[in-house]
Amino acid sequence: MAPSSSWTSSATQAGQAPLDDGRTQASPARALDAATLRSVFCDLLGRPPFAAERERWLGQARHTLLDALLGSEPFWSQWLEEQLYYFFLIDNFRPESERVLAIPADLAAGKLDPREATHRIALSPSFDQRNPGADTFVTVVLEQFTGITVQKNVRELEVGKAIYDGAGGTFLGKVGKRQADIVDIALHHKAFAETFVAREYERLLGESAPAKERAEWARRFHQTPREYGAIVREWLLSEAWDRRAARKRPVSNRLFARALYVDLLDRAPDEAEARRLRTALDGMSDAGPLRSVFARVLIDSGMVALPDKKSIRDPRAWIAQRFEALLGRAPSAQELEAFAAAFADEACRPATVLYALVTHAEYQLY
Amino acid sequence: MSFEALNRRTFLGATAATLALSAGLGAQSAERKTKHVVLIGFAGGVRTRETFGSPSNVPNLVSLAKEGVLYKRVKSSNLGHYGAALSLFTGVAEPRGIRENGRGEEPTLFEYARKGLGLAAKDVWIATSGGAQQTNYSYSTHADYGERYGANTVDGDGLFNAEFKSILETLGRPKKLDEREAELLAKMRASIGGADPKAALNNAESAAQVERFILDELTGGTASLRGPNAADAKAIRVARNLLVLFKPRLVAIVLQSADIAHGNFNGYADVVRQNDAAIGDLMKAIRADPALRDSTAVIACPEFGRDRDLNSRRGLDHGDGSEDLEFVSAVAWGPEFARDRVIEDDVRAVDLCPTVCQLLGTTAPRAKAKALPRLYA
Repeated sequence: MAPSSSWTSSATQAGQAPLDDGRTQASPARALDAATLRSVFCDLLGRPPFAAERERWLGQARHTLLDALLGSEPFWSQWLEEQLYYFFLIDNFRPESERVLAIPADLAAGKLDPREATHRIALSPSFDQRNPGADTFVTVVLEQFTGITVQKNVRELEVGKAIYDGAGGTFLGKVGKRQADIVDIALHHKAFAETFVAREYERLLGESAPAKERAEWARRFHQTPREYGAIVREWLLSEAWDRRAARKRPVSNRLFARALYVDLLDRAPDEAEARRLRTALDGMSDAGPLRSVFARVLIDSGMVALPDKKSIRDPRAWIAQRFEALLGRAPSAQELEAFAAAFADEACRPATVLYALVTHAEYQLY
Repeated sequence: MSFEALNRRTFLGATAATLALSAGLGAQSAERKTKHVVLIGFAGGVRTRETFGSPSNVPNLVSLAKEGVLYKRVKSSNLGHYGAALSLFTGVAEPRGIRENGRGEEPTLFEYARKGLGLAAKDVWIATSGGAQQTNYSYSTHADYGERYGANTVDGDGLFNAEFKSILETLGRPKKLDEREAELLAKMRASIGGADPKAALNNAESAAQVERFILDELTGGTASLRGPNAADAKAIRVARNLLVLFKPRLVAIVLQSADIAHGNFNGYADVVRQNDAAIGDLMKAIRADPALRDSTAVIACPEFGRDRDLNSRRGLDHGDGSEDLEFVSAVAWGPEFARDRVIEDDVRAVDLCPTVCQLLGTTAPRAKAKALPRLYA
């Protein structure tokens, strides 16, 4: 996976002196441990690493991994999934048009930038069907693209509705005449950059962006949307991301659906598998019980490659590997002792160890 | 009341008043025949014209009104489906983004009920039809309430659909653990110390009950329901099954399929009719259950209406500010309510929150609303 765009110019453009590997002075190099590696993959690709990827990247420098992932097609596929979810273009409203499906490849090839990709999403038939009628369409564009509360900006809503219906008007300071103009004007308004940067930061770091930096990132993105990848690179090399990785974040249902397949089957679920599980989990305010049910269903399905208990010659080493792969850390001495003692009992199967790990609250964090 | 003003007389007076109020509430609660409340957000945007303005569409709601109270002018707010439906539960009308996927700041009536009455998670449920966004109705971000007082939410269509059922049919059910293996599993889980335990919605016992409910329901017929109102029908059916199984104190149902009206007026009218029929089935279950029939109150109300005139696609949007949009009709049926009473005065949709809390014997201290007037016999 090779990045298609140059991320390394950004530090200079932001007025910071770059180091020789492109990192800013505020973001020292760190070797990837199991937890950080898992978090980077989950944040950027929406899944943990496969076994081979874990082997390949453990101990490597984080910026090297970022250079490999950022701008790749899998990175943009995950980005697209998150955008579709943000717009609730899911399930029956999921876009199936070739233009939308081509977005990850076109972004990876440098044919599109994130703003143009958003434009493509907003002009898809699915977006129109999801947001039918002038009132809903204009409200959603204002709220989701620009962060404007329509109840406090009734004029923009009314003008937008008039434009939607074919009458002209000045919307967000620009003249529009048709439905597509509403999208175009909103996307090129600086409020879109501000809203987009703020929510992307929150998505990746789990907290609100600091105001001063946010304004600068928004300015850069508004001016040059292709800067997005460079901005994300800065975020993932920042101390803020280090803090986020240390404190752990709850695993979303869509991440859980993918992580479980990768962790147990060493493959990503196909689109239908992920969608079915995610939709079911999204249907519950406390998805914990269903996550637990499904994890056990998958483990007991016969699809998980579990070693025969007798073939595990060093149970402690095997248990430690399971901890590292599933929780991103080594077991403590007490944990290892408790698991080893349980495993020595003939009633405990290798599957029981997996049950314990993937149904525990810690597996719901990353 | 300032400290200086709090002399002995006012202190005693205030204390006496508080005690009297508490005693009154306690007596009121103790005498209440209502033990269970079903609150139906007849949502998706439904005008009175297609409900009580066309009685043949909604014979079951009409029947409930004859045996209960009909509020003909319930003022709603065009806050988007999400914001407007949320306001039914919080008693506070606040703008929320149409596609916003975040929890509200104001506590919901579910949190008021669980905290105020000390209810367990299995006592308070929401059955929804609108997917991920609607699970946010469960609880707020308010520091004094939140997840530990939330309602268990089940989205009928999200969970009980043929596709998800087929996955489980393909993979099979989880193996039943024997006693010893379950014990070892519990020991291993208990030994893991890496996550901070937080106040969860379910405890281990209620989580296990929810697991069982899911597995049982998946093998039932809910996943097979079809038609334009399938999502709504599943929500109502899930609520019915929850009601019969758990006998919860509070069940809310949030419907959504009527929003098909944007592009299909006839489809919308059909959804209204089918949802009324599904509510009829729910009422049959309530009336047939000795533990529910004389102790259950049912309240149904749309979150808002729809435009007065058809749009260019011969559908109905919601945004013209008309009376059709802003005033809807609500019906309340229950053992303590008046019969065949029609209220012509204006009330507000947000008034449902304190009304339900009052029925259950608690209060909604942050709601900016008051209980519905002239409800009781």
